[in-house]
Amino acid sequence: MTLNHYFSLIDVQARMLLKADTSKYKLGVLWWFLEPLMWVCVFYIVFALILDNGEKSGDFIVFLAVGKFAFIWYSKTVVQASGSIVSSQGLIGKVKMPKSIWPMSAVQESLYRQSTVYLLMVFLLAVFGIYPALSWLWMLPVLLVMYLFIVASSLVGAYLVCMVRDFQKFIPLGMTFLLFTSGIFWDVRDVKNAEKADWLLTLNPLAFLIDTHRQVLMYKGSPDLAHLLVLGVVCCAVIVAMVYLMRRYTHYLALKVLT
Amino acid sequence: MLELQNVSLNFEASKDSFDDGIHHVLRDVSFKLYENETLGIIGRNGVGKTTMLRIMADILGPTSGTVIKYPGKTASLLTIGLGHKPDLSGRDNALLSSMLQGASKAEAQSYLEEIKAFSELGDSFEEPVKTYSAGMKSRLGFTTALLTHVDILLVDEVLSVGDAEFRAKAEQAMRERISGDQTVVFVSHTDAQVKSLCDRVIWIDEGRLRLEGEPEFVLSEYRDSLRQ
Repeated sequence: MTLNHYFSLIDVQARMLLKADTSKYKLGVLWWFLEPLMWVCVFYIVFALILDNGEKSGDFIVFLAVGKFAFIWYSKTVVQASGSIVSSQGLIGKVKMPKSIWPMSAVQESLYRQSTVYLLMVFLLAVFGIYPALSWLWMLPVLLVMYLFIVASSLVGAYLVCMVRDFQKFIPLGMTFLLFTSGIFWDVRDVKNAEKADWLLTLNPLAFLIDTHRQVLMYKGSPDLAHLLVLGVVCCAVIVAMVYLMRRYTHYLALKVLT
Repeated sequence: MLELQNVSLNFEASKDSFDDGIHHVLRDVSFKLYENETLGIIGRNGVGKTTMLRIMADILGPTSGTVIKYPGKTASLLTIGLGHKPDLSGRDNALLSSMLQGASKAEAQSYLEEIKAFSELGDSFEEPVKTYSAGMKSRLGFTTALLTHVDILLVDEVLSVGDAEFRAKAEQAMRERISGDQTVVFVSHTDAQVKSLCDRVIWIDEGRLRLEGEPEFVLSEYRDSLRQ
């Protein structure tokens, strides 16, 4: 299989998954916007109406939305991709394909879908008075590393679930754990113990990436480039290792899925 | 073209079944597949025929033994309705199936009109596959599958598709493929099909190769064994 065929197949698979999914619902593509918008409404009700402490609740909604939307991209993709090899059982018994094609198609589908969520994020920022600026160009490397981190996590998840099906039970739990430890409802920078905060940002790449999203988008800052670079390189290494493992054990993985 | 040497395949089953939880699907199977021939595989259900095709298609690897394939030769399974998604139209499904069978996007797109014409689906080709009848689904699936271009075509019992008229057309198309210079491995439970299509037949029983030879001879031995 040529690289060109590999990537065009991922692209077509992703588009077809989206098409099949949107055709199922009456509101179709509108759901891509409605779903994140409903999240914002939930935030608004909880934080602006119920927990309103009279000051700067708008800021907090933006703070939450940026964190939550970035988290949604990560969690939805990894959950979907982790089960993707196992759920393609029918196809795996019939065609010889690199196993990475299934998680990669899921990652790609999610990428197309989440682009609307990011558009909504920009819109929301504007509503609360934060307008696009030149410094937002820092988002390009941030989004690239975020993407690499998602790909690496998805490949690892898909491989583990394929090897030991029980691992699938841990994924929702892991996501809930990340939801609480990645600083979505609270600011990593508010952690009093500096050492603890450092540890958190180093050990949980998602906490670092979400914080970087906020620094760039909300406070027009620049990311910690060294940290970003190291994370990007580590993710690339993991991706290469996983693709190698999936090629090396392609027959074993197929047998695992089929039996 | 392709040779299996002492191929065995085991996998771990539940503890109390088979040999201490090891399921031996194939045991020490050896045979050769020659260029341009049509090789039939017969045997009861669950004796390892599909597994053997999967090994030939390089989907599964043998636990022991070797599979030797001429360099550059491709082998793949003829599959009806590969990766079909009920919510997508016939056209989208045909595109996806063709690409999963190894066609590039441009090639797959160039097949679409041919698929539409041969399958006689007309305007339904643009409708979601979930609205199709079983016969219409198999028309779409068979036509798309027929366009697979491989050196070794592995067929797992797929010729009984659609209504009588389309079945005749499908068999005719299949026959043309087989009688040309296509190398085919063909699993079937229909004696007449095996006799008319295959040059040579192997009989698999409990994961072992029981007999190999002329279709008439192997089939009659196989039928005799079933009567006992």
